[in-house]
Amino acid sequence: MDEELSNSARRMSMRTRKVAPKMAAALASSDNRTQAMLARLDALESDNAVVEQQPLDDDDEASLDDEDQVFHKKYPKGTKRKTRQAKALEHKRAPKTFLELLHEANLESLPPHVPTYLRAAVGPPSSISRRHFCTVCGFSANYTCVQCGMRFCSIKCQTIHKDTRCLKFVA
Amino acid sequence: MNNVVVLDNGAGLIKAGIGGERDPTAIVPNSTGRPLSSKKWLMADQLLSPDVDLTSATVRRPFDRGYLINPDLQSSLWSHIFSNLLNITPSQSSLLLTEPLFNLPSIQRSLDEIVFEDFNFKALYVSDSPSLVHLYEASRRPYGIVSKAQSSLVVDCGFSFTHASPVFQNFTLNYGVKRLDLGGKALSNFMKELVSYRSVNLMDENFLMDDVKEKLCFVSLDVARDLQIARKPGNDNLFRCTYVLPDGITHTKGFLKDPEEAKKYLSLYNDEAATKQQVAAGEQTDKLRSNDASRRIDLTKNEFGLTNERFLVPEMMFRPADLGLNQAGLAECIVRAISSCHSHLQPLLYESIILTGGTTLFPHFAQRLEMDLRPLVPDKYRLKITTQEDPILGVWRGGSLLASSPDFDAMCITKAEYEELGSARCRKRFFH
Repeated sequence: MDEELSNSARRMSMRTRKVAPKMAAALASSDNRTQAMLARLDALESDNAVVEQQPLDDDDEASLDDEDQVFHKKYPKGTKRKTRQAKALEHKRAPKTFLELLHEANLESLPPHVPTYLRAAVGPPSSISRRHFCTVCGFSANYTCVQCGMRFCSIKCQTIHKDTRCLKFVA
Repeated sequence: MNNVVVLDNGAGLIKAGIGGERDPTAIVPNSTGRPLSSKKWLMADQLLSPDVDLTSATVRRPFDRGYLINPDLQSSLWSHIFSNLLNITPSQSSLLLTEPLFNLPSIQRSLDEIVFEDFNFKALYVSDSPSLVHLYEASRRPYGIVSKAQSSLVVDCGFSFTHASPVFQNFTLNYGVKRLDLGGKALSNFMKELVSYRSVNLMDENFLMDDVKEKLCFVSLDVARDLQIARKPGNDNLFRCTYVLPDGITHTKGFLKDPEEAKKYLSLYNDEAATKQQVAAGEQTDKLRSNDASRRIDLTKNEFGLTNERFLVPEMMFRPADLGLNQAGLAECIVRAISSCHSHLQPLLYESIILTGGTTLFPHFAQRLEMDLRPLVPDKYRLKITTQEDPILGVWRGGSLLASSPDFDAMCITKAEYEELGSARCRKRFFH
């Protein structure tokens, strides 16, 4: 895997170009990693895990179509025309999420002395120190995965991590 | 006699009953669920019945991140509860409803619509949970500091988030409220993620995971030490325990394989002698048992083992940064809430911290909070953390008290007022 990475810039064949943007994005990481982190925190608030897996599959197909995109659009081709009935049904099916409602409420426009949902958040901790736990076994982890930034504590856990979880969030 | 329906409409559990009583009539999940085998959505209390198989059930909740997003679903849940569990006719009763702090105006409007237009309630009073908890605690100890000083700091660890809210003279000081975006739901999901990755894939099992969390999780008082213990093999490991998954035939609910095993960690917190005795006793029984066959995890039998997950999951409440959430922990949350109040109020608030909400039910929660809090609080202030005897019902009992007070009718908005003034103007009466 590492060899592919280092050579990816030089090679010009179709196949590597397909892989390259993904890998490059994974390596450039800091932004991508925060994205993965946010996605994970988001998942912690979800009700049914199944619902999320569906769009993931769609994304994989989409990524084959347009190579250059690193972040896939959720619905690559919204060309199918929907009937009015279908639209009404869809509206019924999916109520707005809280974040949408929050956005609509436009709380930022209120004067600064009014306490709102946004201003009630505790904010970042005073000390930035953070304990790291091994993502595989849960004990304190001293090492970071070079590819995806997740933590592990030993070579044993590293192998498990590489075989199962590595890059899944990022790629 | 006109009756008041008290409805503590939490994102996780609805607590509903008649005002003036001690306990609510119904404590049911605020959700609908559909098991794999059926097409029908089961409402609230039907989810609790023992013979329903909730394996891989899909859940729908009217709440997202602690706020109402699906009024239609909420309305159908309420109508189910009102007609089947409470047996009341809304048009002849008033309603005392709790809503989350900083509820959005659009949500308030849709709530009012449900209450007055769908159900035709006679009158409505909307309250927030901290003031009700304060009211209840103050009335329980009329000579305690909470009721004498008329102030308290209510820490409500709920299903979707945690609020630390200063209350003064029965009003929540909303400029002092601090919110931590972690609650029971996130913890359950975190646990689900850990177990699914490490042993059995349980990503679909919401109800099961809640049960595992409630039965097995506890708050560690010394994480570094406990991690060391959790690493030990065999009998020295006080945390390892096994949870048996439902098989769908003989039992539809999961259970602990050995409840004694799950309680073993408690010996850590008793004195040393007791520990040794217990360990010795444990060794004997283990020798009697045919060599650790029972404690090895049998993959054919659908069970999974837990060790450090048991305390690492609740641990996130105290250090959310470990999870990647850029927010201060619970102790700091409390300190920030208090220090945003008037300086004369601060010593009083530190001395009257009240814990409520289902997430505070983890064993040793209060002790750990005190341990975390003490270094952050100035030496000259005394620190006192009060736990409620039943933290899930604290808010409801406060509501029940308020509903039975003589002034209650005067505080409500009536249907006529709502029809004349509309939602926004009526809401001004409640001062939030």
